[in-house]
Amino acid sequence: MNTTTPLRRNPEDHPDPQSAPAASFKNVSQVFGDFTAVDDISLEIPAGRLTTLLGPSGCGKTTSLRMLAGYSQPSSGTIYIQGEDATRLPPERRGLGMVFQSYALFPHMTVAENVAYGLKLRKLPRAEQDRRAQESLDMVGLGHLAKSRPRQLSGGQQQRVALARAIAVRPKLLLLDEPLSNLDARLRVQMRSEIRRIQGETGLSVVLVTHDQDEALEMSDEMVVMREGKIMQQGAPQEVFGAPANRFVAEFMGYENFLSSSDGATLTVRPEHLGVVPAGTSQGPLGGLRLQGHILDLAYRGVDVLVTVSAREANGREVRLMCDIRAEAARELQRGDQVDVVAPTASLIEL
Amino acid sequence: MNTRKPVAAALAIVGYIVMLVPILFVVATAFTSGSTLRFPPEGLSFQWFDAALSYAPFTGALLTSLQLAVASTFLALAVGVPATLAIYRGALPGKGLVEGLFLSPLIIPELVVGLALYQQLIITFRVDNWPVLLLGHTALLLPYAVRVTGAALAGSDVSLEEAARGLGASPLRTFFTITLPILRPGIFSAALLGFITSFNNVPLSLLLQSRESRTLPITMLDYVQQSYDPMIAATSTLILAATMVIAVIAERTVGFAKIFGGINR
Repeated sequence: MNTTTPLRRNPEDHPDPQSAPAASFKNVSQVFGDFTAVDDISLEIPAGRLTTLLGPSGCGKTTSLRMLAGYSQPSSGTIYIQGEDATRLPPERRGLGMVFQSYALFPHMTVAENVAYGLKLRKLPRAEQDRRAQESLDMVGLGHLAKSRPRQLSGGQQQRVALARAIAVRPKLLLLDEPLSNLDARLRVQMRSEIRRIQGETGLSVVLVTHDQDEALEMSDEMVVMREGKIMQQGAPQEVFGAPANRFVAEFMGYENFLSSSDGATLTVRPEHLGVVPAGTSQGPLGGLRLQGHILDLAYRGVDVLVTVSAREANGREVRLMCDIRAEAARELQRGDQVDVVAPTASLIEL
Repeated sequence: MNTRKPVAAALAIVGYIVMLVPILFVVATAFTSGSTLRFPPEGLSFQWFDAALSYAPFTGALLTSLQLAVASTFLALAVGVPATLAIYRGALPGKGLVEGLFLSPLIIPELVVGLALYQQLIITFRVDNWPVLLLGHTALLLPYAVRVTGAALAGSDVSLEEAARGLGASPLRTFFTITLPILRPGIFSAALLGFITSFNNVPLSLLLQSRESRTLPITMLDYVQQSYDPMIAATSTLILAATMVIAVIAERTVGFAKIFGGINR
């Protein structure tokens, strides 16, 4: 590992999207008894970007991260770190930095000793260790707590120390295992931008595991959506959210309306793209979607109103649609009204 | 004491009285100037302490007891700590069985263990009493070593060791810089508990004794059967004082809550 590189990257350097991946998985599986936690995944983690592994619990995201860190061995397949086969390397020879869900700060050491632990092992001169530890702590805004013990710190501060400890060693990859899940809601949102800032300043390749799609959308350069050990979709947040590849990804991204197209495919549409007009009028876009139905419920939310409509599809099937419309457009609507649900063609996403 | 729970407080007071008052009687009679174990004492003198400290069977037995307690505690930790690591951290098949095996001396009556060791090793194989006594005490202390250090280990986060590995520490380095410091209070309390348990033990020591390896409690029992004078109270008082010194040291260095919290959890 190149321990002489500065912690802050040169702001003129931009990661080259064509450069070699920071890590990659080739046909990697992890089987525990008769349970397949990770099922033959192949994946490239771009350098200098923040990649999230996203999915519900049991989808294999944490298992994948632990295989990358070297804490468990894949049952089959190969893991490359910066192009080199690292599949059988023990964790101490991978040169990565990991932040655990529980933070895992060493309770018998001060904050500064925690951060310097990896530097000490790299046999850096004492003065350099101190400088590096202080620099990392300053970057997470905790320079003044260097002499404290971990147990004296709040959860959010412990989290930052864990982050400082991981970045102090200039890791090839920074791995974050559900780093925000033990923080309260306000702090969680604050730490999202904090981690983004640190990623930006250091230019580190970051892999973050989360089950929270908002967190993933807000923080990622690249998203990998997983389910039952398989990758369901990989791409930029705009791609994954704007064009979910299948119903699972769509539901996970918060899509609730699913329709059948005339050729039997499944369509989805976001609630805010649906309009509700009185039955039989010609209001709404020409062409596009128009389904007859009646209002089941209206939920007033201030600026907008969430209208639940039971609509009949062309094939006769009843579907329940959630329509998010502006409050003034809903003024005339009442429960039980016969209405048409309309949507422009461009808003329909085929899964 | 929690004053908001009157019943619990009352029970605690009764408990303290039941435990402490008889001890106070023993301590008081140790200072008598008379020659019988009687309360109230007949006067104040230190003669029975003098007598206890110069009574050769007691001083010899004390040395035996101390040697036995230190050696068996050390052996129990030497076996128990690695076993604990294997049970709580290793990928050991049949962990529960191994743990059960190490804890079994808690359940099997000491007389049975003592008799078995006596029959097999001393009678059949003619092994000396001292090594058999040491073996018996070590087995007796193993559950404490495994339980107490295990509680310290079980209460700590596995991620700590993983974090150290991830930062570049070899398994050996991780053990010495992370695992062992976390275990230290547990080892200290296991040692303390082991020492006291061995020092106070009667059944095993009774069965496995010989003239040369007779422990203090056994010698005291022998003595009480023949003569009933205040020297035995003086000896008990000295043991009590020594125990209190150990307790104070333990409280000052690690703290009781930390030491015995390991078991209560």
